[in-house]
Amino acid sequence: MNLKALTASFKSLKIIFIISLLLIIIISALSYKHINSLSQSVGLVVHAHKIQIELEQLISYLKDAETGQRGYLLTNDSVFLEPFSNARAKVNESFYSLKTLLSNKTEQQKNLDTLYILINSRFNILTSTLRFNPQNNAELIKRRKNMLLGKDVMNNIRSHMTKMNVIENNYLVESQKKYENQNYLTTIFSLLVSLFSIIVFVVSYLKISKDLLALKKANDKLIIEAALTKHAEEIGNFSSWQWNLETNTLTYSDNQYKLLGCLPNSFEPTIDNYLEFVHPDDKHIIIEGGKEVLHEKSYPTAFYRIIRKDGMLRYIHSVSRLLTDKYGKKMLIGVNSDVTEQHLSNIKLNEINRELKESNDDLSSFNHVVSHDLQEPLRKIETFISRLKEDEMQYMSEISKKYFEKIDSAAHRMRNLINDLLLFSSTNKGEKIFTDTDLNTILKTVLQELSQTIEEKNADVRSAHLPTLAVIPFQIQQLFTNLISNSLKYSKPTIAPIITIEVSLSSDKEKLFYQAESTKQYYKISFSDNGLGFEQQYAENIFMPFKRLHDTSAYPGTGIGLSICKKIIENHSGFIYAEGTLGVGAKFTFFLPFQ
Amino acid sequence: MNNESLNILLADDDEDDRLLFEDAFKEVKVKTIVSLVNDGIELMKHLNASIENLPNLLFLDLNMPRKSGMECLDEIKSDERFKNIAIAIYSTSASEKDIEETLVRGANIYIKKPNDFSKLKKILSEVITINWQYHTSALNRDNFLLSI
Repeated sequence: MNLKALTASFKSLKIIFIISLLLIIIISALSYKHINSLSQSVGLVVHAHKIQIELEQLISYLKDAETGQRGYLLTNDSVFLEPFSNARAKVNESFYSLKTLLSNKTEQQKNLDTLYILINSRFNILTSTLRFNPQNNAELIKRRKNMLLGKDVMNNIRSHMTKMNVIENNYLVESQKKYENQNYLTTIFSLLVSLFSIIVFVVSYLKISKDLLALKKANDKLIIEAALTKHAEEIGNFSSWQWNLETNTLTYSDNQYKLLGCLPNSFEPTIDNYLEFVHPDDKHIIIEGGKEVLHEKSYPTAFYRIIRKDGMLRYIHSVSRLLTDKYGKKMLIGVNSDVTEQHLSNIKLNEINRELKESNDDLSSFNHVVSHDLQEPLRKIETFISRLKEDEMQYMSEISKKYFEKIDSAAHRMRNLINDLLLFSSTNKGEKIFTDTDLNTILKTVLQELSQTIEEKNADVRSAHLPTLAVIPFQIQQLFTNLISNSLKYSKPTIAPIITIEVSLSSDKEKLFYQAESTKQYYKISFSDNGLGFEQQYAENIFMPFKRLHDTSAYPGTGIGLSICKKIIENHSGFIYAEGTLGVGAKFTFFLPFQ
Repeated sequence: MNNESLNILLADDDEDDRLLFEDAFKEVKVKTIVSLVNDGIELMKHLNASIENLPNLLFLDLNMPRKSGMECLDEIKSDERFKNIAIAIYSTSASEKDIEETLVRGANIYIKKPNDFSKLKKILSEVITINWQYHTSALNRDNFLLSI
């Protein structure tokens, strides 16, 4: 899992958290509302019941008063009057509490007022009934009339109370219905929200567990990579460090300690502690490098020496790079490599190079000696020989003439040797300008040059179509000349020479064999003939300067031609080899690279 | 230029070469006065002493002790008095470097000492019959080195 995906995952996690929080708040609010309305409706029921009970109570007190009054009327005993008068007080009490209970209901309040009037009149009738004399008939009739009136009032009271009860009941039923309606919607909504919450939680769970799995995988990969890096550092003799420029703290990899000959984490990674290991003469490199980093001038690569804990001197090459994160915080990361081996072999190489240069200088002064100082006396010998030949030969005896011819031919051979030696050494010198050249054109020129010999020997040169290559033209011309004239020279006296030139691309196997650069492509060109050939055991010798397989008298020459060929091929970063069978022919094959 | 005979000077430290040079001119069918000097110092002394009768043609060996031919060439070419002297480099070496350098420094022709007396005679007679005026104006890398 990469950093971007991880950040996205964190973001979605945040969104899920916020959604969940909102859902919980909604559910809580709904539940609160639900409970609240439930308790409200319970309150209403209780309230309605209280009113009904109180009304029942009221009627019961009225009945008490009636009973007492009747008792008194029957017995004329004043004992019965006590409940009667008590009932009055209780009715009042009950009435008062009803008034409180119905305080917020205007309709019932009015009903209560009417009830109050009715009850009052009932009590007045009850009281007035007591005043009639039962002994008097007329009074008795009046009392009966009064009592009938009381009965009517009582009936009124009852019906009024029933009415009030009905209103209260209706009210209760209505609010209960309302509550139930509301409750139904709330329940559905809560259910939906809960369902949605469950879905959100399940999805979140799946997402988080997926992310965690990916995170775990990434973590595993990271662990492997860390182990690999550690391993690579140990094998490659390098280490890494981080320098947090904000907090000025350093972090070292384990191998950083090991390069210093210490155990990992055996000292605190600070610049001062590191400087302890740096060679006294090189400390300034680190100090100045550090300053430049702090002043943001440059982030240098440094080369310096350290003295390890065990006292060994090592060479360190340090490369660093600045990292700036998205908050603009800067961190320098670096890699230190122990380049002691490379450095020492470089020193050795430089030494060898110097020696090589010296020996090259020696060689070029040798060349100078050959070209000037050796030529000088030889030229004089030749000139005086020519003077003698011109003017004095006639006075010589036969034997003197014979010896003189030998001197002349030796001097001539000496001249050839010196010239070829110079040619050989100059193959290495001079300008090496590579130009795209059509080898067919070069071959044509060479055949033109050698046309006389070719004609004399009746030779047949058969060539495949040659490529166009970036070469040093005059050297390739020399190469072709040497190879063809070699074939012409060492041809069989009785058979017309046939020289075959073939071209192909080199195979990977051949490249491997000649340890060629594997990235390059090579043309493989071969010159084969049907001449005298040679024994394969001399295949390498014939490329050495002045090595000859034939005696000078039969085949005059200096033995430098093929050495020059080898040198030319080497100048072109190619390879040459020879194959031969005595009496059958010779084959020279060379490889030339092309892009 | 003296119509009677060509005034020729050779500066060469090698006794044999001076001898061969003199002998060759004896056999050349042109009237010449040949003078010889042994090295560079002597050459400059000679030239300064004979302002009235300077050579028409100077053969200059490069490899001489005390003062080399190259130094002499520079000295002569930088002196207005010697501007009419044609200079033929006469050297054993025919190295590219020497040829290039002497051409640049103003020599008129480059002769590699031959290894055959008849060739020497041929070259010398060739050189003294060159129309120097014409040759010098058309001088280039190809006709600078005289080969027979």
